[in-house]
Amino acid sequence: MIAFQDVSLVYPNGVHALSAVNLSVARGEFLFLVGSTGQGKSSLLKCVYREVRPTSGDVIVDGQQLSRLPHARVPALRRKVGVVFQDFKLLHQKTVWENVAYALQVTGASSRDVMRRVPRILELVGIAHKSKMFPQELSGGEQQRAAIARALVNNPLILLCDEPTGNLDPETSSEIVALLARINAKGTTVVVATHNQAVVDRMRRRVVRLMNGRIAHDEERGRYHVGLG
Amino acid sequence: MWDWGRVKFFWGEVAQNFTRNVTMTLTSMGTVAVSIVVLGAFLFARESFDAVIKNVVGQVVVAAYLKDTVGLPRVGRLVTQLRADPRIDGVKYVSKAAALADLRRRLRGQVNLDIINTNPLPNAIIVHTRNAGDVPSVAASLRARPEIELVNYHSATYEKMVRMEAVLSAIGLGIIVLLLVATALIIHNTIRLTVFARQREITIMQLVGATRWTIRWPFVLEGTLSGVIGAGVGLAVLLTGYRLLEPKVAVNLPFLPLNLAAVPVTHLALELIVIGALVGTLASLASVSRVLAAA
Repeated sequence: MIAFQDVSLVYPNGVHALSAVNLSVARGEFLFLVGSTGQGKSSLLKCVYREVRPTSGDVIVDGQQLSRLPHARVPALRRKVGVVFQDFKLLHQKTVWENVAYALQVTGASSRDVMRRVPRILELVGIAHKSKMFPQELSGGEQQRAAIARALVNNPLILLCDEPTGNLDPETSSEIVALLARINAKGTTVVVATHNQAVVDRMRRRVVRLMNGRIAHDEERGRYHVGLG
Repeated sequence: MWDWGRVKFFWGEVAQNFTRNVTMTLTSMGTVAVSIVVLGAFLFARESFDAVIKNVVGQVVVAAYLKDTVGLPRVGRLVTQLRADPRIDGVKYVSKAAALADLRRRLRGQVNLDIINTNPLPNAIIVHTRNAGDVPSVAASLRARPEIELVNYHSATYEKMVRMEAVLSAIGLGIIVLLLVATALIIHNTIRLTVFARQREITIMQLVGATRWTIRWPFVLEGTLSGVIGAGVGLAVLLTGYRLLEPKVAVNLPFLPLNLAAVPVTHLALELIVIGALVGTLASLASVSRVLAAA
């Protein structure tokens, strides 16, 4: 589903974010990306949804070489890849329902589709009863659920989560990761970049550790401190 | 088939953008309104001044003095031929007797013409051209005819007036271009601020896979609406001023070379609304494209 082929990324300010990364993520896989701040986790995710382009090497998503993807086709790629962030990135002037519907509306979905899919996805993430509320009226966990609903409403093949529990308490973090596991069980490939040791250790899924922009360790059913000796 | 839900969403976005930041919306509309008042006032003044100049230039006629040997039948044929010329609007034959009578009338009380026993004035043909610009060429073709002794159209004065009209037109055009550029830049910057204020929204739209045009449209339409409404307000101010001033200028300031009554008001009003819409549209398109290019 996702393949990194010798990918290096150097930002215009000279920072080496990724160095010769080779990584393959299978369809339906659940993967944790771990490593301390500044090791390249977010940069790696950005390469998948073409927020940044590698300086060298190539990223392949669902069989598509992103280095050859014309700019006009990036929106189509992003409909296959849902993204969730630590700060939720919800629109504060829209209700939960509108935030989720927005992702469908801007991609040209019919109003019938919107009416059919939004309630279903809100039900899945467990905030259907909060659909008329505004983000600022919700708890952090509920806001993250709304953000996950928005990322999922276009039925993406891949869900990328950049520190999804970074702003949440341990209990809520567990609930969010459990939700991600349920989404993964339905067939969506899930990649989670995180610092949350408890969550990683409890889930025992594949863990990839990044260090100085390189893959330092990659283990099936790993733990947070994998590769640290 | 139309999906009214989508149409509703789309216009809802435009309306929401429009009403969310009232201060910013009013600022950009106000900017258009002020620019339209300045530009419009200049255009109104230019049109009324042009009308005066065109009227003066249009009064230039070509006087062709006939040789004494040319008889009336030949004059008749010449007049018929001249009337067939598409450049010529009117031809009038003035006999030497009529010219002398006219001269006597004009100089009555100043010069005693009774002391002249003979009539030294020639028979003449007075030609009005359709277009003031054709005066020199009509004069040249008259000069080439064997029946004509002399052609006069006060060429030096005429050329000065035509040159002055051209210079004033060029200056006017330059000022219009400068005003338009200034208006566009101010609106561009105002709308850029509103676009930057919505950077977060644009980022989210991009993340969920909205195409560039889906992102641009609400901003562009907002720019168009700001332009049209701003231009409408500016125009209302301008027309009120015009209605109040128009009757007073001619009476109280007769020395001003302005003919406000000659201003094609409807035409200019439409022009200003179109300018407002265009400037608003292009400025917002440029602003949002710049933000998208940087994203």
